Amino acid sequence: MARAPGAWARVWRRLRPPRRLRFTREGNWFVFLALAIGLAAINTGNNLLYLLLAWLLSFIIASGVLSELTMRGLRVTRRPAPEVWAGQPFLMEIAVENGKAGLASFSIEIEDLIDGRPLDKKCYFLKIPPGKTQRTSYRHTFSRRGRYRFDGFRIATRFPFTLFRKSRDTDDGSEVIVYPRLTPVPRLAPRPRHLGVGASDRLGRRGEFFGLREWKDGDDRRAIHWRSTARAGRLLVREVHDEIERRVTIIVDNALPAPVVRALDAGERLREDGPTLDALERAVSLAASHAAAYLDAGWGVAVVGRGLTVPLGRGKGHLARILRELAILPATTEAVALGAADAVGDRVLVVPAGVAAAGRPAADHVLEA
Amino acid sequence: MRFAATHKTTSYLAVAFAFLAMVGGGAVSPLLVLGGALGLALSWFIEPPRWNLDRFAWLFTVIAALGLVYSALLAVSTGDYLGHGGGFLIILTVARASTRRAARDWQQLYLLAFLMLVAGSVLNGELGYAVCFFGFVVTGTWALILFHLRREMEDNFLLRHADPRASQRVEIRRILESRRIVDRRFLLGTGLTSVGFFIVAVIFFLSIPRVGTGFFFRGQNSLHMVGFSDGVKLGGHGRLKTDSTIVMRVQVSAKEFHGRRAPYLYWRGVVFDHYGRGEWTRTRSAPSTPTWTEPLPGNRERRYLRLPGISVGSEAAMAVARANAVQQDVWLEPIGADVLFAASAPLAFEVAPPTAGGRRPLEKNDEIRLRHDGPVHYRAWSYIEPPAAEALAATWSAPPGSDALGDPYRQLPPEITAATRAKAAEIVAGATSDYAKAVKLRDWLQTQLRYSLDLRDPGGREPIDYFLFERQAGHCEYFASAFAVMGRAVGLRTRSVNGFLGGEWNEYDGYIAVRAGDAHSWSEVYFEGQGWVTFDATPPGEADQLGRGSGAWTAKLRRWFDTLRFQWNKWVIDYDLTQQLSLFRSIGKKLSGGGRAVSSAGKAVTRFAKRWAALGGALALLAAVAWYWRRTRGRRRPTAPTRAERERSELARLYEKAARRLAQRPAAVTPRELARQLAERGAPGAAALEELTEIYYAGQWGGAVGDDALARARVLAADIDAAARAARR
Repeated sequence: MARAPGAWARVWRRLRPPRRLRFTREGNWFVFLALAIGLAAINTGNNLLYLLLAWLLSFIIASGVLSELTMRGLRVTRRPAPEVWAGQPFLMEIAVENGKAGLASFSIEIEDLIDGRPLDKKCYFLKIPPGKTQRTSYRHTFSRRGRYRFDGFRIATRFPFTLFRKSRDTDDGSEVIVYPRLTPVPRLAPRPRHLGVGASDRLGRRGEFFGLREWKDGDDRRAIHWRSTARAGRLLVREVHDEIERRVTIIVDNALPAPVVRALDAGERLREDGPTLDALERAVSLAASHAAAYLDAGWGVAVVGRGLTVPLGRGKGHLARILRELAILPATTEAVALGAADAVGDRVLVVPAGVAAAGRPAADHVLEA
Repeated sequence: MRFAATHKTTSYLAVAFAFLAMVGGGAVSPLLVLGGALGLALSWFIEPPRWNLDRFAWLFTVIAALGLVYSALLAVSTGDYLGHGGGFLIILTVARASTRRAARDWQQLYLLAFLMLVAGSVLNGELGYAVCFFGFVVTGTWALILFHLRREMEDNFLLRHADPRASQRVEIRRILESRRIVDRRFLLGTGLTSVGFFIVAVIFFLSIPRVGTGFFFRGQNSLHMVGFSDGVKLGGHGRLKTDSTIVMRVQVSAKEFHGRRAPYLYWRGVVFDHYGRGEWTRTRSAPSTPTWTEPLPGNRERRYLRLPGISVGSEAAMAVARANAVQQDVWLEPIGADVLFAASAPLAFEVAPPTAGGRRPLEKNDEIRLRHDGPVHYRAWSYIEPPAAEALAATWSAPPGSDALGDPYRQLPPEITAATRAKAAEIVAGATSDYAKAVKLRDWLQTQLRYSLDLRDPGGREPIDYFLFERQAGHCEYFASAFAVMGRAVGLRTRSVNGFLGGEWNEYDGYIAVRAGDAHSWSEVYFEGQGWVTFDATPPGEADQLGRGSGAWTAKLRRWFDTLRFQWNKWVIDYDLTQQLSLFRSIGKKLSGGGRAVSSAGKAVTRFAKRWAALGGALALLAAVAWYWRRTRGRRRPTAPTRAERERSELARLYEKAARRLAQRPAAVTPRELARQLAERGAPGAAALEELTEIYYAGQWGGAVGDDALARARVLAADIDAAARAARR
């Protein structure tokens, strides 16, 4: 799970120098060569060696000027993939617009910054003609779910002579929600009372009328009860008995031992917290996978956790909401109570392996991840 | 132009310039130079895929090792380490150029080229080096930028992310053959940039403090002129008379010596006191040059000769003496002698003294000498006009052995024939003073004997006797020697001087270019209380075989090239701390002058502003209103889209809407890829989307849309919508 950027990172971003210069291997050799020529010139008084030294020094200046020119007037934007899943590669489109009127930019590297640090992937643009935009993509994989904050970009170049790598950071904040990893899961047996009833798993309007409820994202539009809607002034849908029986509440227990939670909140990474945190990640992944499976089968699904309540719903839109909520579900302590489960439907409790916590309700299925 | 070809061409040009910069000095064996040039030319064609170089990877190591052994053996056996080191660099460069495969090989080639340029700075200090250096700066900049791009391509373009799951390899050769990366504009821009580097380099060059302790060593070919060593046989100068190699450039402060019609100046150099067996020599017993030294800042000193009538010892008095003399700035090429030249009767020389521990050369007969292995720049002050004839006529020589000067300048060898002595006595018969004797001797020689460069061997005869009585023709050395010897025979104190006469006036840079062919001999006669006075017994007009320079365009062109060479020597090769301080002082003066100008201009502007403030404010306001009106007007009336733009816009809208009905297009998937994926999956409406995509592509990037295409796109979009609806049901 991604953490919010620390205070130090924020302060550093404010204090960062406008440009960074780093010698490349060739640059180190170049400086060494310049020093050697300088020593030889001083020792011999040979003015042609002074001339060569002057040329080498002018190369360093020129390198700085040209790299500055090539980096100026660039505007970088990103376009993430519509859905990003933990553990699965995704493509991020990076577009660079050269706003300069008459100068092309050469050899530009773009790195995405998360918490002020560049990602492991970078995009390279050989030539961006003046006034034009070039696009490319990089592939990346987030291993954990969560809300990832992209701070900006690092624009870098080694143009024109590979002597230095000059870079500058630009601010361009955006967020990417990384959904929990979905894994194939077996269909859980419904409560015994449902056996033989509702053999069809398809969403539909079968069964006895049960009542009316408010419209939610993902509901079938054909289920809208127009007369009642007109009376009430808000969208109401018919609920049939079959739907009442085919509903499930997935309870994910996101409680971890208090020291682990404190360490996580402080941004520390404790050696012993690894397995526990991984267990929570597995639990969230398992809960998300079951929610997807139930929704796919036409069930109504509610998800609760400590500090989390996603009311009952159906359809793809509802799955997106569940995934988004699960993606940002934080680890907490057992002091936080679990949300209320649906009183009617099945209950599936997903708990991290090896973590004991109070306040867990009874459930039809208890899954340990 | 193709990227790979441009990179290769510019790289080879850079290597070629570095090669020429090194071999231009002539220090590398001609065989190696020829072989190197041929090898580099052949290596152009040796590259993959034409040649499979993997099999020859070992070749570079073998050639390098053999080259090292060969060069080391030659260097040790001949002692010419620099020349054979340069030869080794050529071998390495050819081997590397012939076995280049990857970016690393190009990098090594650039390093070798740079080392050749460094070697050239020691082996070749001529103007040609400047041309090659400039060529290397321009082509090297191109080559290095293109090399950078090439390497970045190879590092970054190996993969193309086209699909979330898999990446495609990109064929790097395709990019290298691209014509879109490098064009004329790119080369022009980077070429101009490299000229900018060059200017920055020049500024750096002029600014880097010259704190060097060593002295410039070029190892170049010095002229090794005869006539300026400690002993000179008669006849040596004649061979130089047609040699136009420039040995010295002099800027003279006095305007009367400027121009092709200006009076000739005698550039006094080596002075000989002893004659015998047809040879003039400087003897150890000759009087040492009496000098007084004034130290100057910047490791310089001014050395004054003790001339009659000038009391040395105070800087103020010396400043007055210098003010009455003619100042000369001299750039002297290495001629194999350490004597310094100055016009007629030198008063002072301003030089950089030898470094601590360095011994001064032996200075005799009022010569000033300075050891130097390369070109040297110094300043001199001279009295050009001799004392008045009346003053000279009023003096008589002291009897032998009666004064401090002594008798070395009265020496006569026993082989001087009685005929010579008798002839001298006959010529000066009736003379009432030493001056009259000298004038009679000079006039007789100038009028009775002929000038000739056609030398003949006198055999066993005494050369002056042969010159006076048999040949009766000769060049300046014979005239000068005859004058000195005959003068001594009649009681004058004389000495022979070797130096230069005149020189070619360079109108482009205002200096006198003294050539090897301007070498000349004359004599000096000592007059009590007046010092040494120049007497030239050579027939007037005969000595100057090369003239003062013609007005023909070839001569003008030659002088223009010489100006370039002079400036190169002056501002690059001989640039030293003194010149640097002088340059910065003059810049400082100009800047302070500029500061004063800015200050007075500021005051003037303030006065003007006070007077015209109201009007200026009104005009500024008016201009601001006009600017704002123009800007806002532009905003209110945006340019109406053209019909083609409207059609394209509608087509894009149709495509986006239709594609969205079938699938969400990921960021990295192009419209065409999306259509193909849907068709492969057999999605409903995919065929229509494929057709619509092609119309969309044609409309966006293929030119005009056209009514028919737009109508067809509308039909296809409707079909796709219907298919999507049917599939949903």
